[in-house]
Amino acid sequence: MMQTMDLARTRAAVDVDIRNVDLSYGVNHVLKDVSLRIKPGEFFAFLGPSGCGKTTLLRLIAGFNRADRGDVLVGGEDVSNLPPWKRDVGMVFQSYALWPHMSVAQNVAFGLEERKVPKAEVVRRVQAALDLVGLGHLADRKPSQLSGGQQQRVAVARTIVVEPKVLLLDEPLSNLDAKMRIQVRRELRDLQQRLNLTTIFVTHDQEEANAICDRIAIMNDGVIQQIGTPVELYEKPANLFVANFLGAANVIAGKIEGRSFVMGEGLQVALPEESHPPTNARLVIRPHFLKVDHAPPAGSLPAVVSHIEFLGANVRYGLTMGDVSLSVDAPFQSSTALYKPGEQVFVTMPLDKGAWLAV
Amino acid sequence: MSRLSVFAVAAAVGLLGIGAACAQTGKVTVVTSFAKDVTDPFKKAFEKAYPGATLDVQNRNTNAGVKYLEETRSNNQVDIFWASAPDAFEALKVKGLLQKYQVKTVGIPEKIGSFPINDPQGFYFGFAASGYGIMWNDRYARANKLPEPKDWSDLARPVYFDHTLMAAPSRSGTTHLTIETILQGEGWDKGWRTIKEVSGNFRQVTDRSFGVPEAVNSGQVGFGVVIDFFAFSAQASGFPVKFVYPTVTTIVPANVGLIANAPNKAAGEAFLDFLLSPAGQTVLLEPGIRRLPVLPATYAQAPADYPNPFKDPSLGARVKFDVEISEKRTDVVDALFDQMITFQLEGLKGATKAIHDAEAALAKKDNAEARALVKEARDLVAAMPITEPQARAPEITSAFTGAKEKGARQAELEQQWAAFAKGKFEQARTKAEQAVKLAR
Amino acid sequence: MTQAVLSHKRPRGRRASATPGQIGLALAIAAFFVVFLAAPVATVVYVAFTEKGTGAFTLINFVDFARTDLFIRSFWNSIYASTMTVVVASMIALPLAYITTRFDFRGSVLIQTLAFLPLIMPPFVGAVAMLLLFGRNGSINLLLDDYFDFKIPFMEGLNGVIFVQSIHYFPFILVNLSTAMRNIDRSMEEAAQNLGSSGFRLFRRIVLPLAMPGYVAGASLVFVKVMDDLATPLLLGVKDMLAPQAYLRVTSVGITDPMGYVISVVLVLIAVLCMWLWARAVAGKDYNTEQRGGGGLAKRSMKPHEKWIAYGVVLLILLLVLAPHISLLLLSFATVWSFSPLPDAYTTAHYTRVFSESFDYIKNTLIYSSLAGLIDIIIGGAIAYLVLRTKLIGRTWLDWAASAALAIPGVVLGIGFLRAFYDVQLPGGRPLATMWIMIVLALAVRRLAYALRACYASLQQISVSLEEAAESLGATKLRSARKILLPLMVGGILAGFITSFATAAVELSATLMLVQSSDDAPLVYGLYVFMQSAAGRGPGAALGVIAVLLVAACTYLSHLVIERTQSAKGAIQ
Repeated sequence: MMQTMDLARTRAAVDVDIRNVDLSYGVNHVLKDVSLRIKPGEFFAFLGPSGCGKTTLLRLIAGFNRADRGDVLVGGEDVSNLPPWKRDVGMVFQSYALWPHMSVAQNVAFGLEERKVPKAEVVRRVQAALDLVGLGHLADRKPSQLSGGQQQRVAVARTIVVEPKVLLLDEPLSNLDAKMRIQVRRELRDLQQRLNLTTIFVTHDQEEANAICDRIAIMNDGVIQQIGTPVELYEKPANLFVANFLGAANVIAGKIEGRSFVMGEGLQVALPEESHPPTNARLVIRPHFLKVDHAPPAGSLPAVVSHIEFLGANVRYGLTMGDVSLSVDAPFQSSTALYKPGEQVFVTMPLDKGAWLAV
Repeated sequence: MSRLSVFAVAAAVGLLGIGAACAQTGKVTVVTSFAKDVTDPFKKAFEKAYPGATLDVQNRNTNAGVKYLEETRSNNQVDIFWASAPDAFEALKVKGLLQKYQVKTVGIPEKIGSFPINDPQGFYFGFAASGYGIMWNDRYARANKLPEPKDWSDLARPVYFDHTLMAAPSRSGTTHLTIETILQGEGWDKGWRTIKEVSGNFRQVTDRSFGVPEAVNSGQVGFGVVIDFFAFSAQASGFPVKFVYPTVTTIVPANVGLIANAPNKAAGEAFLDFLLSPAGQTVLLEPGIRRLPVLPATYAQAPADYPNPFKDPSLGARVKFDVEISEKRTDVVDALFDQMITFQLEGLKGATKAIHDAEAALAKKDNAEARALVKEARDLVAAMPITEPQARAPEITSAFTGAKEKGARQAELEQQWAAFAKGKFEQARTKAEQAVKLAR
Repeated sequence: MTQAVLSHKRPRGRRASATPGQIGLALAIAAFFVVFLAAPVATVVYVAFTEKGTGAFTLINFVDFARTDLFIRSFWNSIYASTMTVVVASMIALPLAYITTRFDFRGSVLIQTLAFLPLIMPPFVGAVAMLLLFGRNGSINLLLDDYFDFKIPFMEGLNGVIFVQSIHYFPFILVNLSTAMRNIDRSMEEAAQNLGSSGFRLFRRIVLPLAMPGYVAGASLVFVKVMDDLATPLLLGVKDMLAPQAYLRVTSVGITDPMGYVISVVLVLIAVLCMWLWARAVAGKDYNTEQRGGGGLAKRSMKPHEKWIAYGVVLLILLLVLAPHISLLLLSFATVWSFSPLPDAYTTAHYTRVFSESFDYIKNTLIYSSLAGLIDIIIGGAIAYLVLRTKLIGRTWLDWAASAALAIPGVVLGIGFLRAFYDVQLPGGRPLATMWIMIVLALAVRRLAYALRACYASLQQISVSLEEAAESLGATKLRSARKILLPLMVGGILAGFITSFATAAVELSATLMLVQSSDDAPLVYGLYVFMQSAAGRGPGAALGVIAVLLVAACTYLSHLVIERTQSAKGAIQ
């Protein structure tokens, strides 16, 4: 699929600029002073738990919601006061919203017809768009005769055929099964790259966002928590929410005394040279950076195995060090090399791999 | 009726637990076409005169009432049928739905006007009389600058074109009698000619008697052919309407009869006697009712200008009314009227209008040829598909009675008559239009 | 493609066999139709198939029908009037339905209620009120004549019939269309807007096609009702239509003419044909958009100028369709109103006169109509379920039977009930036909098709997968119908109930034949009695106003409930 690339992209990619947007539904403050800029051609994600305002922000860009305050600029043009049909911002709905009374081809042709594109060209471009998503042979089917993945692709084809300035994807993968999800997300990324189309992707699944997006805005409770590339966010979470939301993390509260990090009942780890955390600090460190050994290496701390989770490639150990609990991921080697609950082990904490948050 | 359905209904009724016992004693069940304004005073007076008796009034129009009695005869729950049209009673009598009775009141004459008051065999009785006349809305007449009519023939004048209406005789027993009176008074052919000339001006032929006063009261149509009490009660309610008895009018009795197998026969008889007693007859004089008592002595208590058919010869006495002829051809006359007038009104009006135009043109500039054409046109309008003897011959009447022998079907005859009338009206219109051109 | 996860189109034959419960249900409904529809009507219309004299079976009467100019003319007039009424009624109903269901529009519930009122125009008195306003010498024409020297023939001939019927019956389209439109997922419209569509094009290309099942349900009802209605044409003096012809013939004394019944049979055939076409038109268009969460049912908001236009349109339409009711209200307070734009003077005397005696009428009306409505939604809902959710053989016959009932003239049914049930005696010798419950049953049969259409349309919009989900969780068919379908159908069921209830409350023709004593009489009967005399016009109008208010209050309540269930549904996002 997607071997052909007939769909000529005539426009340069544009940026999306959201400035100080506020939106409330009655007493419900959904977006709180949201500002962010999405670069031309970027694949950008709004990531957050449900109810965080990410879909509302997307619908705001599409024009279905209206901000109480603030502006939305697409390609430098303020679209805040334009109705949805004048914004030229393509959206793929979570439900796909395919019209059941129209065939696949009619669905895809709709936007072109609304734009008064000549008939012959409509036919050509519809076919090209359907070919692009690999559904050229299903043009005459009704949406109800398609599988979920096919419906999703029709929805994408219907949106990109009109060559919108920006593509908005509202949880486009949420109605697909796990295997399909991985396949379709690659296709989406591929398509976005080929079309060089500024794309905004709303999801609650961090793995999805990490896998395909250039940058991510993490949202919670109507506020943008942090914006960055997946790696930046993973390595340097700006706050506790981001740290916890993106994958598993050990968050350990402690104090800096001299050049040591003191946690719990006085367990000490030496700080690396270049590290200058605040006095009262929290250490965020991912489980796979920690190391477990039978014998105590230098700088290691004693701990007891409390439980084991087998994750396939990795094994996750729950450890207790006095009153501090830790998760540690170790690559799975063999069944005989596993630690048992209750076993005494030694943990190495490479603080240079961790991030510091002020308390 | 299948056994299953009986069971289902019985079960449904049982489930719902409704089966209020109805006390038969003292209750007189009356099916009537009379309005509340008429029945309420009688109910009051009767219940006062017979303590312990109650009058349960079921209001149905005459036709529905007859149909109802027919359908429920197997387990009749009605004591009295009380309505205007004598032919409805005749129908009930023929079907054996009435029972004989000897009225106690004395002094009621045999005829009112030229119409016999009671059924000779004693199955039903006239209790009040009403005369036919012309009712009009005064505001309407003044706004359209229309003169006040005095006689039936006035209604045929061009000035009333599209301003008059009447009930269909097939739908109104009393209207039927008016038509029959005209036919008997003027003869079959001349009578129909008059009827069609008057009808050519109709705006509408209503399907209920009360439709006529209703239209006149509200001013939708100016002039209506109605039974007198419609006009009187409208006046009593304050409507700006006037009424006149034409020089030749029909006085028709309104009737009452005892139903065969009446569940409360004694009380039914009591009501019958009450209606015809001096006390009952006096109720008729109330302004909201205003009908003519059949007991001449009652008029002594009436207001001075109250019409008295027993003294005033213009009220119906001029026409000899042959009940037997009327009965034989009832359905034929009604069907002829419907097929030629009610359902062909457009064609009839078209021809009539053309004739009026032609005559207006001739009045300005005479033309012999045109005059002949207009006469032809009038004759075409007046033409009848069947003769008077045919109208009461069994070959034709049997089509309407559901007689057992095979014969012409009603629908066939009706189609023939309708086609006949339609053709004649079209020809008449063409001739009259030619006359207009000639007279120009 | 690994699996078709979300296909909501069921493969054919998925439910090849029916459960015993479903078969039992179908048989029970069939029995209801046999007892309360087929048997009574057969006792009357068999005449249509008998030869004069011999009583042998024949079709000659139908040949007569085809040969008679009057009937053929009537036939085409009826078809023409019905078709044009659907067109005009659609023009009235479409904007109202769209504005009130798809937009955030203050007063939607009130508008829906008011726009429903035309359906409850009480007989006779409603006609008088219409004529006083729109008639040749009605208020409007008198004023036009005074100031501009011309008149508009609102009420003349077939055009008059179309005008009056459109005003009278457009709520059928409105109610069904509104229900359908409420069920359209918002994202359906948003997707179109997103692709550059707006305004009328959006409506025509997306909203209307998606609401088509509801629209067609309403339109087919209007068509059949105009076919079947006799009061309006007769009031306007139009007799060459089928229903008036049937009525005039059936109710004339002393005439044993089969043609009235022949016409009744023709009317029933037309109704069934119409419903069959309707079923074919919507077959396979199960546009349930209740899928995959997401969009929800929230309404769009309008810009100020759009709002003004919308209010203007709505007000104009309401003024037109409620004019008869305004006129009725005036009439109920009028001393004399004759050949003048407004009554001469006003009085409350009519209400005083009516109040003392109307309590029984009101009580009876409420009992009869709500029972009839209840029976209708139960049977209608069951038929809709059987037709749409099972593969029972002959299930569509139930549907057609209900539709046929719509076209049977009230008089025919009334006489049929008398014939069929009069000989069935209750303990004490009282005939079964004289029980008031027979009025209820006659009303229920007459109004069943309304409830059925509404239930059908709302069930059609609910995805089968919702029940399957319940069944997969161990619910039986009965439980999944009760726990899942019923709550989701509430809006449609209530709409059906209102329609059946409200129209039953003003039904006269069947009632008149079956009312046995004034104690058992409903309001319309009282109204009929009043309207037979000049003095009764005012009280009749007062009673009419009471009837309208009564039904309107019930309707308003139901609309509130519908709105509430809708917003509850919309909240799940």
